[in-house]
Amino acid sequence: MAYEPNEVLDCSGMSCPMPILKTKKAVDKLEPGQILKMIATDPGSKPDMEAWSKKTGHKLLEYQQDGDKHIFFIEKV
Amino acid sequence: MPKTGSKRGEIMAEKLVILVTHGPEDPEMATIPFVMATAAQASSVEVVMAFQSDGVWLMMKEMVGRVHTADFPPIQELLSAYMEEGGKLYICGPCVKSRKIALEDLVEGSLIVSAATLIGEITSATSTLVY
Repeated sequence: MAYEPNEVLDCSGMSCPMPILKTKKAVDKLEPGQILKMIATDPGSKPDMEAWSKKTGHKLLEYQQDGDKHIFFIEKV
Repeated sequence: MPKTGSKRGEIMAEKLVILVTHGPEDPEMATIPFVMATAAQASSVEVVMAFQSDGVWLMMKEMVGRVHTADFPPIQELLSAYMEEGGKLYICGPCVKSRKIALEDLVEGSLIVSAATLIGEITSATSTLVY
């Protein structure tokens, strides 16, 4: 399913924990129901984002991998 | 996520205490506590960092910008993020005194504390990590 993000955050090249920190700040600025597209190249970002969304309650709508890029669609609850 | 306290039914926030005992002599062990602290904050966990033994060197203004280990963000960047999210920095008073570190050389926002303060934080925390 294709999601239309309200914001896009590119965390390519950032190492742990910066993608999570940047994602948290970006999601904080969204309204409930809005969607953030986050791109990361950190190989640990997939389990990190799954754990983060479980912990915070924000919905991880979709995950895609494109080469070394990990792409996440997150809905603010 | 908040959870319900078992004794009185009150809502308790999660709190993590991180004890840091390594300094610039081991940049990786000095950096990882800041990684864990900021990741916890991003997950809505309250964090208290406490610096003991050689860990107190990290709280010197001139030192904090110098410690960097491969494949991690610099401590200075992590510290700034930590403070932006309201993190607390507690420093062992006797550890500072024995190393002859002047109080005015410590990073802004840090607080000299005694063991009783740390025990209070640890016993009221939901988890404690020691590095």
